[in-house]
Amino acid sequence: MKTNKNTAKEISKKAKEKQQTILDSLKNHGAKIYEDLENGQFPKFSIPSRSVSNIVYDKKLRQYILGNSTALRSAKNSAQLRSFTQLMWLAFFANRLTQEKKSSTLRDVYYSSQAFAIEFEDQSESDNIIVDLEAVTSRPREDFHIFPEERSSIFGDLNIEYTIPGYEGKTMNLSNHPDGYSIGPSLTTAELVDTSAEIVIAIEKGGLFTRFVEEQVDKKFKSIIINTGGQAPRSTRTLLKRLHDEMGLPVIILTDGDVYGEHIAMVIKSGSANAAHLRELTVPDAKWVGVWATDIEKYKLPTIPMTESDIKRCYDLQKDPRYESGIWKKELEVFLRLKRKAELEAFAKYGLTNITDKYLPQKLELAKSL
Amino acid sequence: MSSIKEKFNQISPSEFFYSNRDLAGFSNPTRSLYTAVREFVENALDACDQMGILPEVQLTIKAVDPDKPDPKPYILTVKDNGPGIDAKHIPLAFGTVLYGSKFGLKQARGMFGLGATMAILYGQITTNKPVIVKSSNDAKIQNQFEILLDIQKNKPIIQKHTTKDVSKKGLSVSICLEGDYSKAGNKIRDYVYETSLITPYATITFDDPKGQKFHHPRFVKEIPPPPTIIRPHPHGIDVERIRRMIVESQFEIPTIDDAMIEKVRKDLGLSKQNLSFSAIMTKAKKKWKNLPRQVRVVIALMSFLKMDFEKLNKIRIEDIDVPNKKLYYWDFGESLSKTVEMDPESQYYKQLTNTVQGEPLTTFLTKRFQRVGPTTAVKFAEFAGFKPEKRMGTLTNEELVNLSDSLQKFEDFMAPDSSCLAPLGEEPLEKGIKKFFNPDFTAVVQRPPSAYSGFPFIVEMGIAYGGDIKSGGPHVYRYANRIPLLYDEGSDVVIKVVNDTDWGRYKVKGDPPFIIVSHICSTRIPYKTAGKENVADRQEIERELRLALQFLSRKLAAFMSKRGQAEMAKKRANLYAKYIPMIAEFCTELAGKKKEPNYKKILDDLEPVDIKQTESEPVEEEKPIENQ
Repeated sequence: MKTNKNTAKEISKKAKEKQQTILDSLKNHGAKIYEDLENGQFPKFSIPSRSVSNIVYDKKLRQYILGNSTALRSAKNSAQLRSFTQLMWLAFFANRLTQEKKSSTLRDVYYSSQAFAIEFEDQSESDNIIVDLEAVTSRPREDFHIFPEERSSIFGDLNIEYTIPGYEGKTMNLSNHPDGYSIGPSLTTAELVDTSAEIVIAIEKGGLFTRFVEEQVDKKFKSIIINTGGQAPRSTRTLLKRLHDEMGLPVIILTDGDVYGEHIAMVIKSGSANAAHLRELTVPDAKWVGVWATDIEKYKLPTIPMTESDIKRCYDLQKDPRYESGIWKKELEVFLRLKRKAELEAFAKYGLTNITDKYLPQKLELAKSL
Repeated sequence: MSSIKEKFNQISPSEFFYSNRDLAGFSNPTRSLYTAVREFVENALDACDQMGILPEVQLTIKAVDPDKPDPKPYILTVKDNGPGIDAKHIPLAFGTVLYGSKFGLKQARGMFGLGATMAILYGQITTNKPVIVKSSNDAKIQNQFEILLDIQKNKPIIQKHTTKDVSKKGLSVSICLEGDYSKAGNKIRDYVYETSLITPYATITFDDPKGQKFHHPRFVKEIPPPPTIIRPHPHGIDVERIRRMIVESQFEIPTIDDAMIEKVRKDLGLSKQNLSFSAIMTKAKKKWKNLPRQVRVVIALMSFLKMDFEKLNKIRIEDIDVPNKKLYYWDFGESLSKTVEMDPESQYYKQLTNTVQGEPLTTFLTKRFQRVGPTTAVKFAEFAGFKPEKRMGTLTNEELVNLSDSLQKFEDFMAPDSSCLAPLGEEPLEKGIKKFFNPDFTAVVQRPPSAYSGFPFIVEMGIAYGGDIKSGGPHVYRYANRIPLLYDEGSDVVIKVVNDTDWGRYKVKGDPPFIIVSHICSTRIPYKTAGKENVADRQEIERELRLALQFLSRKLAAFMSKRGQAEMAKKRANLYAKYIPMIAEFCTELAGKKKEPNYKKILDDLEPVDIKQTESEPVEEEKPIENQ
């Protein structure tokens, strides 16, 4: 049984501190703008530039980060005035959410704006402003209680204690419900208490997640199973990071045997360029264990040909410094050689439980040496 | 054959126009009413212009029977404050076709006054009513005529002639004609409106059949300088014209009969006196300058014959052989043909030579054409392969054609004299545009004189943007010799030049509210059709129009970019006014404050915005845009 390295008190204290930091940060920004206006000046602030030229790979952190260049946003610039106001409103709205400990979603933010006569062309514009706020404060949106719609899920022997209003102190074991638990705001902010699991298995697909639960992979391999639902949402990546950092659990990743699967694993491990303004979202020690391109040949998996865009994606990723070495480089090369791909379900050819009976044990074994 | 020829000869000009009236713009009741208005108004304006009188033209159209449906008879009256017409000329001027006073070569709205007589003719054949002319040329007596036109004989029939006392000069012409005002009304109102724009020194009023009054008072107090009458330019000439000029310059050998001798005696002041030959010659020398040409010829002959009047009575001149310097005559007394030698050194010899053979080519050119000096004339003679002293009267048909061709081709003639042109001028044009459209931007330009085929012309152009101008521009107002051109817009050279312009280049986009006023002045506007509504695309004219339009468009572009900046500033100001209060609201709560910050100062500091053209700031010149 593993327990959280930090005591519950410490966790709670830490969470409160974090919230206060965010509220302070928002207040400071607000106060500065207030002051500018009061002095008869156009308010302005600087924001790390998120342009491609300012996204650099940090080898130490093993993730993409923003470089030093910053952009000045000024209300004097009429071209920026609208987005300036939008961002002000979002900060104002996030401040309310955080203070009142209420959650919102990206979509909900978009619709809430209308009540304040803030115009967003579409949700992608409001999503973009949310990323701006992340960049200004260097905090992920979840810290301001803004979550994405899509949910991934978790199953396994893990006890948690809620911190959200109304549930404070309540505990829950995440193996009680065979459909798994949706990773939402309450779970992301919950304290992780203890677990008997020794490993976290992140899997790309809901279908395989269900199979793993049915086959009691959690018990057989002492694991916590997480369905990433394709590209892992931030909250899921945060949870993965916490399970690794706070509970000391290794993380392995199982994806489809194609270039997109390989990159899903990479994003969990070292983040995405889109979120270069954020840290603490990566699990640098996470391990991609399959399905590798080499597995396709090794296990004689049924395959389908790669599409034009699959191939283009391979070439694109070859330019990414993270794909310059190790299995990342090797597997990409094999994919390009084979020009074919296989899904996780491909193992069904050798029986429905083949993947859990044969493949998974071999990969878990292999992971230890990776 | 002879009978056919006779028939041709019997057609009078009136009859010719009667059967070809659609050529002159009298094709249907709508067009005819419009054309009639044009002809009379333009005649009135021309008459005033010529005498330097500020025109006051009053146009009235009344339905004879207002309740009848169109087309129906209308009474059209145009009254002016011009010089009037001498009573003795009125019947001919208004009762015959091809009688007019505008024969000189200078810019005028109409030529020869033909159109007005056509209108009268049209009125007569559609309503059988006479034209009523009231004229006073002395501000004392007004002559009033009612005239019908005898179409076959091309002669006026005076039905009534009365006089009355008046105190003002002027002419009033009134005709009754079949017209369709419900259809022509728009064009006529446009015509009056547009005429008043290009004739800002005229007051024009129009009482329409529906009882509406359109009053366009003058807003410029000075008449533009009047054109002068000039001789033709060598480039603008053809064989027929040269032939006529030669005829004008030549005189036949006068028949020396009793009447002629009587005339010579009278002109010399010797009616009662019988002087000797030498005394007559002395007298003639003294009076030479004032003697008419015919008399000079008789004196010249007498000088060689050495005869007094009595002897002269008894002979008849048979031939004058200029090259051989011999003079042949028949002596009645002796019943003999006699010969006299002529002394080529004598001044009288020259006189006779001119008469018989016409002027030398160089004299012909310098005397009868504009801008040809003796040096140019000699150079031209060389170019065309003529001797400079070649007598015009001795030219064969072929030589005549050669001369005409060479006149066209010779490039060393100076450009035609433009003093015969009367452009409106930049200032009155700009004033007019500003008054009519109250625009945000106006620019005008008068191009330097140019010429096509020997006809001088000047292009004037104005451009205006915004203000009261309707969107959907450019709206083009076309003028030629101060006449608005309203029909057949599609094929006009001005429209072509405007349509060729890429307005996006000049920052004019979308559905812009802007107008172009184009005025072409020339001694001969190259109209495409007899209806005189569209100008042909002569290369030289097109070029001038293009240059004028480019010049103005660049000015417009400079204004537009300023205006664009001003509009941007205005938009910006609106944005600030909208968003700054919101920012204030949100940051107040964020900062944990109760009271909103005082952001008014920021908004107040924004500069006020004006998008009108500023007089003090002339639009800067840009580099000319090269021809694509």
